[in-house]
Amino acid sequence: MSFAEIQQKAGRSWDRFQSGETPRVLVGAATCGRAAGAMEVMQAFQQGCATDTTLTPVEIHEVGCLGMCYAEPLIEIRGPAGDRVLYESVTPAMVPDMIRNHLGQGRPVAEYALCRMLPQEYGHTGEHIPVFTDLPMIRHQLRIVVRNCGFIDPTDIDHYIARGGYSGILRAMDLGPEATTEEVKLSGLRGRGGAGFPTGLKWSFARKASGSPKYVICNADEGDPGAFMDRSVLEGDPHAVLEGLLIAGYAIGANHGYVYCRAEYPLALERLRTGIAQMRANGLLGEDILGSGFRFDVTIKMGAGAFVCGEETSLMQSIEGRRGMPRPRPPFPAHAGLFGNPTNINNVETLAAVSAILEKGGPWYAGIGTEKSKGTKTFSLAGKITRTGLIEVPMGISLRTIIEDIGGGVLDGKGFKAVQTGGPSGGCVPAKHYDLPVDYEHLAQVGSIMGSGGMIVIDEESCMVDVAKYFLGFTENESCGKCVPCRMGTQHLLRLLTAIADGQAEENDLETIRRIGDTMKKASLCGLGQTAPNPALTTLDAFMDEYLAHIRDHRCPAGVCKALISFAIDPKACTGCMACAKVCPVEAITGSKKQPHAVDQQTCIRCGACRQACKFGAVRVE
Amino acid sequence: MSQINLTIDGKSVAVEPGATVLEAARRAGVAVPTICDHKDLSPYGACRMCIVEIEGVRGFPTSCTTPAAEGMQVRTASPELESLRKRTMELMLSGHPNSCLVCPHREACESMRPKATKAGRSTRCGFCSNKEECDIRTMALEAGSRDLNLPTLYAAHNLERGDPFMDRDYNLCILCARCWRICEKIHGKPAISIINRGKDARVGTAFHKSHVHSGCTFCGSCIDICPTGTLTDRFARWYGKPDAKTPSACLLCPEGCALIAQTHSGKLVAATMTAFQSEASLCALGRFGMAQIVNASTRLLRPAIRENDEAFTVDWDTALDSAANGLKQHAGRVGILISAATTREERHLYARLAAGLNGRFAVVPTLPVDPLPAGQGTPLPEWLADIQSGKITALILGGDFLERELARSLDFLLVIDGLPVRVQDQADVVLPAALLAESAGTLRTAAGQIRSLARISRAPGQAKSEWEILRDIGQKLDIAEMHFDTLQDVTAAITDDAPPASFPGRPRQDVFSLPATYRGHLLADIIPALSAFGLPTTYDPSQEVQPTEGFELLEIRELVPNMHLLRIHAPQVAAHAKPGQFVILMARETSERAPFTLADWDAATGSITLIIEEVGRSSRELISLSQGARLAHVSGPLGQAFPVERKGTVVLGGGCYGIGAILPLARALKEAGNRVISVIEGSSAYLLYWEDKIRAVSDELRIATKDGTRGTYGGVQEVFQEIREREEDQGAAINMIVAVGCTFMMRMVSELTKPWDVSTFVALNPIMVDGTGMCGACRVSIHDETKFACIDGPFFDAHGVDWDELACRRGAYAREEVEALPQTVDLNTLMFPETAKQGCGCGG
Repeated sequence: MSFAEIQQKAGRSWDRFQSGETPRVLVGAATCGRAAGAMEVMQAFQQGCATDTTLTPVEIHEVGCLGMCYAEPLIEIRGPAGDRVLYESVTPAMVPDMIRNHLGQGRPVAEYALCRMLPQEYGHTGEHIPVFTDLPMIRHQLRIVVRNCGFIDPTDIDHYIARGGYSGILRAMDLGPEATTEEVKLSGLRGRGGAGFPTGLKWSFARKASGSPKYVICNADEGDPGAFMDRSVLEGDPHAVLEGLLIAGYAIGANHGYVYCRAEYPLALERLRTGIAQMRANGLLGEDILGSGFRFDVTIKMGAGAFVCGEETSLMQSIEGRRGMPRPRPPFPAHAGLFGNPTNINNVETLAAVSAILEKGGPWYAGIGTEKSKGTKTFSLAGKITRTGLIEVPMGISLRTIIEDIGGGVLDGKGFKAVQTGGPSGGCVPAKHYDLPVDYEHLAQVGSIMGSGGMIVIDEESCMVDVAKYFLGFTENESCGKCVPCRMGTQHLLRLLTAIADGQAEENDLETIRRIGDTMKKASLCGLGQTAPNPALTTLDAFMDEYLAHIRDHRCPAGVCKALISFAIDPKACTGCMACAKVCPVEAITGSKKQPHAVDQQTCIRCGACRQACKFGAVRVE
Repeated sequence: MSQINLTIDGKSVAVEPGATVLEAARRAGVAVPTICDHKDLSPYGACRMCIVEIEGVRGFPTSCTTPAAEGMQVRTASPELESLRKRTMELMLSGHPNSCLVCPHREACESMRPKATKAGRSTRCGFCSNKEECDIRTMALEAGSRDLNLPTLYAAHNLERGDPFMDRDYNLCILCARCWRICEKIHGKPAISIINRGKDARVGTAFHKSHVHSGCTFCGSCIDICPTGTLTDRFARWYGKPDAKTPSACLLCPEGCALIAQTHSGKLVAATMTAFQSEASLCALGRFGMAQIVNASTRLLRPAIRENDEAFTVDWDTALDSAANGLKQHAGRVGILISAATTREERHLYARLAAGLNGRFAVVPTLPVDPLPAGQGTPLPEWLADIQSGKITALILGGDFLERELARSLDFLLVIDGLPVRVQDQADVVLPAALLAESAGTLRTAAGQIRSLARISRAPGQAKSEWEILRDIGQKLDIAEMHFDTLQDVTAAITDDAPPASFPGRPRQDVFSLPATYRGHLLADIIPALSAFGLPTTYDPSQEVQPTEGFELLEIRELVPNMHLLRIHAPQVAAHAKPGQFVILMARETSERAPFTLADWDAATGSITLIIEEVGRSSRELISLSQGARLAHVSGPLGQAFPVERKGTVVLGGGCYGIGAILPLARALKEAGNRVISVIEGSSAYLLYWEDKIRAVSDELRIATKDGTRGTYGGVQEVFQEIREREEDQGAAINMIVAVGCTFMMRMVSELTKPWDVSTFVALNPIMVDGTGMCGACRVSIHDETKFACIDGPFFDAHGVDWDELACRRGAYAREEVEALPQTVDLNTLMFPETAKQGCGCGG
C-alpha cells in the first residue's frame, strides 16, 4: 500500500470516528484519568450500555489526556444527534443518568457537563453549556505538541495519520536530510528538555559528525516531581513523538533510534510498543521506509527511575548497560555518544514539535512565540492552583495569564506567593514577577529556568524554607554520587535547610548555603548538580525575611515547619464537634462533646490533621 | 600527526593529539591538584579538583577530561579557581573523617605518636592505616584554613572484614572510583561498581555478595590504587608505609609472576603488581599470601638433631655434620624429594647432591585442589614402594610430602624446610630454611622466562638460605661439584634446566583454582583465610572453644563509631566496685589479659559496664563477641578506688573511652558534696556519647571537639582553661582536676595545670599483665618513685608522672601488636561468622 492509500484509509477511519452517527463515549484514560477513576467509569458505561436494550449500539473508546487534570475523569459523549459534550469529574454513579438522557434520549446532562466540543448549539438543552474553545483554561492555549491528545484514539495510527500525521516525514524525505535540518533551524525550535539548545543546530552537529552507526534517542525519562508533560504526550499521541524521532534519524543519518522511557510509565510504554508495531505494519519502520531507501528501527529502553538518567550522558550510559552516571563533556554526544558513536538526543516534547514543524513548515512555527523563544511550551500546572493540568501556550505569555486565567488562580482564593519552575533544577519566581513573560530568557533573568515544564504554584500558606528543603531532599536522594560538589553539597544544603526549619540554625549558615550553592553551580559535573542549589538560592534571594524569621525568631511565618509551630484550639470558635479529636493520630486532643477541645502539646506531633478537619477554623497555628 | 600547541598559565606547550589539558599542564610543568585522576586510568572527572579556566569556554571545565585543542589558553590558577577547589575539597573531606586535619593539637599529638592507632573504624587520620601515604591529607594540610567549616557526615556503613585478605571501611571512601575503574581495566568485567544513589552511593558488589563470590580475583589492585584508607591489605596495613619496594618474582606456582615486594623494617609485608595492567595481575596467593607465609608464627628457627630418640637444637656446624654423616652412611640409597617451589639454584644443587650421593632426586609439582588432568602426577606413589622395599633408606625431605607411617621405614631422615612437617618428630636432622623472599635466586617460568628473586626479607631465627645449606652439606661430604663461593656461580653453572609444566589452573582469573600447597604444606593451614576459596585445611574451627561457662555478655553495642559498650554479668565485681577501679577481661582462655576501667555497675543485678574502644587485637576480640556469649575471665575490681572526698569545685575531663570512665567519678564526687564540672571531649561531634548520663551527675557539663563541630574548639585542656578563667573572674577556684583519656590528652592536661597549683589526677594506662602487682609490666615512675599502676593506681598525681618513660614502655611491643592483629581477624572470621553485626550504634 502506498502512503497515499494509507492516508485515504486513515481518513475514512477518522471520519467514521469523528463525524459518524453512532453514539460514542470517549474516556480520558491516560494515567491521570485512570488515577481519578476513569476505568471504573468506563466499566460502568460498558455495563450500562450493554444492558440497556433500548440503546442503539454505543462505541466506547479510550483517549488521551485533554490536560484538564482538575476535572478528571473526563468523559465525552456524542449523542444520537451528533452533539458532543464533555463531562467532568464523572463517577460511576453519574453514568446511568448520562446513558439514559444523553445517549438514549439525546439530552445532555447539563448538571455534569463541562463544555460542548462543537460550537453549534443542538438545542436539546435548556441550560447553557459553554464551548470547549471558550473555556478559560483552553482559550489562551495553543496546542501543537498536544494537538491530538484527548481527541484521537492513541492506539489507532489511522487517527494520527488522518490528522496530518506522517506527512512530516514524507515532506522531510522530499526535502532531503540537509534541508530537513535547515527547516528545523528555521523553526527556531529549542530543546524542550530544559536547556533550550537550538534543535536544528544540534542535529547539524550529529549530521556532520563522522562515525557510524549514528543513533537518535528520544529522552522520555521525565523525572521532575510534579511534571507529566511527556507522559501525557506519549500516552495521548505516541506517533507524534515517534514521527519526530524518525525525522531526526533521517536528518542526521541514523538508522537506529532509542526511546528511553522510565518503567514507571507503563501506559506510555504500552502506547509506544503499539505505536512502533503499527509503524512497522504501515511501512514507516524497517528497511525501505516509504520507498525512500531509508532504513530505520526503534528500540524501547526502560529506565529504572533514576532522576539523573534524564541527563543525556547518564541516559546513554544506562542504555549501554552501565550505571547511569554522567560522563564529562566534551566529547559531546554528537561526536561520541551512545556506544561512542555520533548521537542525537531530543526530549519527547521536542520531537512532538518536530513532527508538526515538518508537517506545517519551519516559518509557521517560528511565527509563534517571542524573538528568541519560538513556538509553544507545555507546562504541567500543579501545586496550589485551582485548575491543575497540562497546558500548552505560546512562548512569551505572562505568568499571570498562565496562573490566573488558565489555572484559575491560587487554590481556595489564597494569595499567590511564588511559582517554582523547572522542578528541582529550577528556581522560585516570586509574586513580584507575576507579569514576567514566560520564555527562556526571562526565566533565566529572574534566576530560574524553563526546565522541562513543571510549574508548581506556591501560596501564602507555604513555607519557602520547606519548599527548598523538599527539593533538596529530592536532589540529595537523586544525585548519582559521582562528583563531589553535588554528592556532598546536596547533603549539606539539606542539612542546613533542615536546621533552619528546625530553628537550630545560625545566620552565618545562610552564607554557607550561598557558598556551597555557588561551588555546586560552578564545579559540579552535570546539570543535576549545577542546578540543584537553585531552589535554595532563589528562595534565599526572594524570601530572606522568611529565612530570618526561622533563624532569629524561631518562627515559621507560614506555619508549616513542625519544630517551630504548635496547634491550639480557639475555645470561642470551637463548637465541640469532636471532628479534630477523631482524626488526631496520637489522641492529643481532649474535650468532650459540645465542649471546647484542647491540644496536649506534649503529645501533639504537629501533623495538622486537626486543622484540616476543623470546619470552623478553630484550630490555629501558633 | 602534528602536535597541538596551547598555553598553560602563559607557558607554551605542545602535546600529541588526544592529550588532555591536564597532561598538557604537566608537560608544561604546571601542577594541578587531582584525586580521582590516575596515570593508569582513563579520565573520570569526579573529584573536580583539576578544574581550570579556558579562554572562550564557559564555566570551569575539568582539565583531566578536556582534550587539548590548538590555540587553547588555559589558566590553572585564579582566585576563583582557588576558592572553588578549596570548597570542593572541604565538601569532599566532609564525607571523610578528618578531625585531625583541623585539630589545634595535631602537631604535638603527631610528634608524640607518629604511628596511627590500630582502630577498627578510622574516625580520624590518627586512626587510619593510610595516614603515612595519604595524598588527600597532604593536600588538605597544604590548603590550610577552612572556608565552609562543614561537619563530618559520617556515613556509618558497616565495616567489611568478612572477606579474606582485605579490610574495607567505606566510611572513608571519597568515591573517586579508582578501585572500580582499575578492576574494570584489569579484569574487563569488574567485581565492584558504585551502588546506590546520592548520600547512599558507595562502592560495592552486585547484590551485596561477598567478594569471594562476586568474581573478585583478589589481585589487590583496588587496594593499591585507593588514595584513602578505605581499602586495605589486612596483613600489611598497620605496618605503615613500606620502606622498600623491590622487583622480584613469585615462587608459589610455575607461572612465576613478576611482582614488587614491599618490605617494612626488613620484613616482607606485601607483594604488588608490577604495573596496573591486566597482564601484570597477581593471584590472591601472590598478592597476599607470600607475606603471611614468611611471617608465619610456626616458622622453623633453629637447626635440630635427634639422638637416642631425643631432639634438641644445635648450632649449624653440628647440625650439618650430623646431616652429612647420616647421608654418607646411606650413599646409594638416598632419596631427595623436594618441592617445585624452589629456585633454579636450589634444584641444581639438590641434583648435584643426588649425583654425589648416587641417589635419586624428584621434584613434587605444585597443584591446585582439583588438578586438571594434565599428566602431572606426583612421583610419590613410586617412592612409596621404594621406601617400603628398602631401595631408599635415607631421605632428604624438602617439604611436607611424607606420611608418618612411611617415615618409619626410613633409617635416616633429613628435613630442610622453613615450616614444620608432619614427620618433624621422626627426623634425624632438621635444618631451618629461608623461604621465598628471604633468599635470592632465579626461577624459570612455565613460559620459559628467567626471573630474579630478590632477597629482601630477613629470615627468622637462624634459618639459612637453602642454597647455602646445600653447599655446606656438599662441602662436608667432599663433593667437589658442590664447591661454590657465590650464588652467582651457581646460577652460572645451570645450563640445561627446562621450563616447568604450566600450572593446571588459572589462579589469576579464578580464585577457586589457587595452588593448594606450598612445599607440601596445606596453604590454608598457614593462611586460614584461604579456606574461603575452598582450599583444604586440617584446621577445624569447631575445635576452637568459646567458653560455655563464665561471665555472660548481657549487652554489646557500638555507642558511636569505634566505641563499644559491653555490659557483663559479674556479680562479685559489681558488689565490690568503687569509682576509679578497673577489671581485667579475657575473652577466651588463650586471650591476652586486657584491663578496662569500670564505667558503671549495678550491684543489684550484678552487672558491670565497660566502654571499649577498638584499638588492637584484644579489644577487637572482645567487641566481636555477641550478646549472650561468655567471657572466660573477668577479674576485679582491681586497683585503688579514687579517693572521693569533699574538695569543693572539681573539674573532670574525659576523652574517648575516658568519657565512660568519668561517669562513676562524677557521681561519687557529687554525692560527696563537691561541685562537679564535667568536660567531655571527642574528635568530632558525632563521636560524643553519654552526654545526658554525665550531665545528670554533674553540676555543669561542657563539651570540646577537636574539629570545633560542638562546644569548645579543642580538647579538655582548652575548656579547663576557660573554666579557670571564669572561676577566677568570679573570685572562685578549682580545687581538683581529674583527666581520663589517651596518654597525650592526660599529658597535655598535666602540663597545663602544673603552674596552676591545682591537684591533678590522671588514670595511667601502661601495658599491664596480671593486674595484681606481681609481674611489674605496669611499672610507672611517679615523683621518681616506682609504682605499679595496677595496685598503686590507676590514679596518680599527674604532675609527678614520668611521661616519657610511660610512652616508651607503652610502645615496647608496637611491632608485636601489629603482627598479632591479622591472626585475630582470621580467628574471628572463622569463629564468629555472625560478626556481621558491626553496626555503629547510630540506630540506622
